[in-house]
Amino acid sequence: MSLQSVGFALVLFALSAALPAAAATPKVVRIATVAYFDADKPLFVGRPSIIARQGWLASELSKRGIALQWVPASHTAVGPIINEAFANHSIDFAEYGDLPSIIVNAAGVATRVVVPSGIGLDTYLVVPAGSTAKTIDDLKGKRIAIHRGRPWEVPLLRLLESRGLSYADFKVYNMNPQAAAAALAAGSIDALYTLNDALILEDQHVGKIIWSTRNAPPDWKMRAELWAAKDFIDRYPDITQLVATAYVKAALWSSQSENKDALIKLYTRPGIAEDLTRREYDNGAVPWSERWSPLFDAAVIDHYRHVTDYAVAKKLIRKPLAPDALLEPRFVNAALAQLGLTDYWRPRPVQGAKP
Amino acid sequence: MSPGVDSAMGAAVPTLTRLVRIPLLPRLVRLLPLLVLLVVWKAVTDAHWYPPELLVPPSEVWAALLELIETGELQNHLQVSLHRLGIGMALGCGFGVLFGVVMALSRTVETYTAPLFHVIRQVPSIALIPVLILIFGIGETFKILIVIKAAFFPVALATYTAVQGIPRPFFEVARVYQLPRAVLFRRIVLPATIPPIITGVRLALGRSWGTLVAAELLAAEAGIGQMMEFARQMFRIDVVMVGVLITGLIGFGFDRSFKWLEARLLRWRVR
Repeated sequence: MSLQSVGFALVLFALSAALPAAAATPKVVRIATVAYFDADKPLFVGRPSIIARQGWLASELSKRGIALQWVPASHTAVGPIINEAFANHSIDFAEYGDLPSIIVNAAGVATRVVVPSGIGLDTYLVVPAGSTAKTIDDLKGKRIAIHRGRPWEVPLLRLLESRGLSYADFKVYNMNPQAAAAALAAGSIDALYTLNDALILEDQHVGKIIWSTRNAPPDWKMRAELWAAKDFIDRYPDITQLVATAYVKAALWSSQSENKDALIKLYTRPGIAEDLTRREYDNGAVPWSERWSPLFDAAVIDHYRHVTDYAVAKKLIRKPLAPDALLEPRFVNAALAQLGLTDYWRPRPVQGAKP
Repeated sequence: MSPGVDSAMGAAVPTLTRLVRIPLLPRLVRLLPLLVLLVVWKAVTDAHWYPPELLVPPSEVWAALLELIETGELQNHLQVSLHRLGIGMALGCGFGVLFGVVMALSRTVETYTAPLFHVIRQVPSIALIPVLILIFGIGETFKILIVIKAAFFPVALATYTAVQGIPRPFFEVARVYQLPRAVLFRRIVLPATIPPIITGVRLALGRSWGTLVAAELLAAEAGIGQMMEFARQMFRIDVVMVGVLITGLIGFGFDRSFKWLEARLLRWRVR
């Protein structure tokens, strides 16, 4: 590249950075979500695949001359990738975990929960198949693996707290789930706390699940919601409403039991059996339609209070954060009213009971 | 390149001569790119072209460095990493020299081991992590093994080439003079092979350091790589940048020290 062309590029760059984007509508709405890669082709699972199938959002946006773009975030580092993208203004919405969202807000990048994702995901305590341990108490002094700083660390700490335990009572190993699965198979750890890959380990007779958040209070689950950049909400409330309405429509479709089989297909990530997804979502712990509730109920509010407190207590964030300010329920409420669904889902109370 | 410049840059010239030949000013000029980088970094962050959370200003990276030193966190991580590197390098280089010599001297060993040797040599150490964990567990062993693997191959290869490269006539002359084995080894084999082996060790050190940090990013409880990985999870890009800086400086320091050692060990050539 010649010196002139470098200079020209720099000038262009400076201009583009200096010009305020004053358009009334954006050219594109970018929604980031976890993706699995088949060769170099991203595969989306979960709510984005329903919304893409329904086609309503894409067509509503295109009527206004706006494109819809799904931005893939590799499942190996969803939190950091999406946080960096929000900070860089290269996405407008993202569907991802609770803890990274709180971390990015504490760092000064403002984002808001626009549509909660339902009751949340279960997390599991797995021990080697031949282990005699039956509860977390039996694992005292033993080696336990967890990927530190990932969203499923919060429910583990809740479990420990509820039993009067802490990390000091164990030998804690920090490793990603892939490495931990090998370690569990080799018997070089005594327990692993992880996501639904625990079900795979159980199927392969490598491990057995001795505890999960399935029967724990509803606010103990790991949550991933639809988050939006605050400046996007402020600038384009109408577009935000469209996206939120699309997500509520997807929640309605999900909650109808005749769509159960189709949903299980759309929620099954490549490389795992459909049966596993079925066991994860259709296990009778919660009525099917309630599982997909988009309400900002007490369980959601309490969950974010707890995760924020945890992040402050563990010094993961340096500035305290007002958790209630992270929640932006007006779009869901408007969508429910618009779609005539105000009484469709019931808000869940938070039980004080310990599992 | 003129012969003068060539010899000034060649490893065969003692350090002292190099110091004398390159005057002070050009030596300072070599720091210029570093200075330019700092100035551009500062200017770009001041202009707010990029979000300050992502492109952290140099002053904040400096503050993060001081904070990490004050809390002792950086020293802890570094100690863990350097401990792994030290043990892994010692074992990897030791085995590498032994294996290289044996492979060069014995045609049988070479025939049997060469294919496997060259196949494993091509596999990135990080790809072996799951296998290593399966066999050796999650303790320090597998992290040290990754360093051993990264160090072993360049040193073994350098040794093999060095021993093979000793000209046949050297041995013939030694036979004519009826040199005792010890003398043959001390006066001929060692001087002929040490320089390329040292170069191999220098390459091995650079490669091991990079590989170790990368392995720590993926699976470790502590170490400079883990410090960076956890900081990224916590959106502390300032700490990530400190890690990048420290990793680079340490790698640079190692490389320079070995270059200096190479030059010192080769002084005899000038005599």
